[in-house]
Amino acid sequence: MRSGQFGIDDNPVFVIDQSRCIGCEACVQACAECGTHRGQSLIHLERVDRATSTQTAPMVCMHCEDPTCAQVCPADAIKQTEEGIVQTALKPRCIGCSNCVLACPFGVPKYVADFDQMMKCDMCTDRTSEGLTPMCASVCPSEALWYGTIEEFRDTRRGSLFRDFLFGRQQVRTKVYTVIDDALAGPLDVLAGVTSTWLDDPFGLDMEAPS
Amino acid sequence: MSRSANHLDRRGLAWGLVGVAVVIALTFIGSDRLVWFDAALVGYLFGVVFAVFGVAYRYAVWLRRPPTAMLNRRGWDAFRQRKARNVVALPSLVATHLLTQGFIRKRSRARWLAHQLVFWGCILAGLVTIPLTLGLLHFESVGQRADHYQVYISRVGTMKFDAESIVGWFMFHALDVAAVLVLAGVFIFLRRRLRDPGAMAVERSGDFLALAGLFAVSVSGLFLTVSSMWLEGRFYSALNTIHALTVILGLMYLPFGKLFHIFQRPGNLGVAYYKRANDQGAPAVCRRCGEPFASAQQIADLKEVLPQVGFDYSIEGGGNYQDTCPRCRRAHVTLAQSARVGGFG
Repeated sequence: MRSGQFGIDDNPVFVIDQSRCIGCEACVQACAECGTHRGQSLIHLERVDRATSTQTAPMVCMHCEDPTCAQVCPADAIKQTEEGIVQTALKPRCIGCSNCVLACPFGVPKYVADFDQMMKCDMCTDRTSEGLTPMCASVCPSEALWYGTIEEFRDTRRGSLFRDFLFGRQQVRTKVYTVIDDALAGPLDVLAGVTSTWLDDPFGLDMEAPS
Repeated sequence: MSRSANHLDRRGLAWGLVGVAVVIALTFIGSDRLVWFDAALVGYLFGVVFAVFGVAYRYAVWLRRPPTAMLNRRGWDAFRQRKARNVVALPSLVATHLLTQGFIRKRSRARWLAHQLVFWGCILAGLVTIPLTLGLLHFESVGQRADHYQVYISRVGTMKFDAESIVGWFMFHALDVAAVLVLAGVFIFLRRRLRDPGAMAVERSGDFLALAGLFAVSVSGLFLTVSSMWLEGRFYSALNTIHALTVILGLMYLPFGKLFHIFQRPGNLGVAYYKRANDQGAPAVCRRCGEPFASAQQIADLKEVLPQVGFDYSIEGGGNYQDTCPRCRRAHVTLAQSARVGGFG
């Protein structure tokens, strides 16, 4: 769990490592405490295969450098800050079409029918703008959600920070980092070798090994 | 972006000029060849003309963005599909989506109240000011009775009223009523913006500018009444100039700032028709879990729009990543990441 305060030159980064999630749901509760969307939890917490495993996985907005959600928004309601944070939809503009919900490659934005609005994680702007850790990362006991400097990560964690993803032919670079062991192997191809459903073969054990 | 941002958009320019021509024609014809046009309001007319040009220009440019153009087309297609039924549904949609704004009340009652106060205050002010400015509305004495007036819309005489009656008071103080409504809303908004850390964190300069503009217009307008009723007209000329300036600047700000959402928001009606039509069409089925997750039409529309805005989610060997449901997208990312760190745990 992290709770430090960062200075303006620290350049802290957000890191998500789904493989470390222990499913405590602290992030789900903490997310609803975020000042910019109080009462609404916008983080996703999936059960990988409820029938055979307790494994869970969180998903926050990855804050793409060229956000698909913003590009497909007909109302031009999704803006990016100078720091690269893709903000939730501007309330006066969002017309509730759900284009962003359906186009986001990470499956992040939520359409809230009561408000007729899209809402999504804005990396706790109220906290990060003051050097504080985002709510979810501040309560994550397994550091699946982590916020700190790159140097700190290298000193205390294993694996490499990585932020290039491949969705079919589309490469996406994000502000949020993930963790992988083999950084030299290129972008994280989300479709590589994953042809089964979670229920059929959650860990890809039954797939043929590559020749 | 292939077009230089420095170049004016021709279609936007054309629509802007059409808007200006319509306003000028309306003024000329509506004021009976300028007979009832009040020259003292010429500054306001300039503001209205600029606002109409700016709004039409920006609207035309906005409608050309690929996702906006697609939604605009689909919204109208959906409306025409069942025209009679959709026309019948329109008043209810306008009432819920545009006038009563219940979706804001569900977010916060204070925000809804503030928005309603500002909304109805501005509508009232616009209904009075714009026809007056264009010379479409004027008042005439009834016969020799100085305390009775008749409302004229262009050359057509409509209702008569006693200046001393409640109706008369409202007629001459409608803009004061509007100013009080707007000010009440502005103060509620300001209170939230200055006290809520979440609101302050995502504050944009435009949020305060819009509130400051509404405040300036309302207060300077109320001071005109204060001057004429209680100060025997002292400072009226200076106050009048200040008020005119705030209104004209406000009108000029309309196309550029936060208040442009007034013109964007009706797009929500198109979305409502689009969603209703899509609900009755075939669903899109997730390529991974096989479950329906959206309308096939919207997914097809997105797949058409995405290449136009520079994205290629097609999959080598066939298929498209956009045919995956959001939940399975999160699954894909999770499984791929865990595979690159040697599995879960």
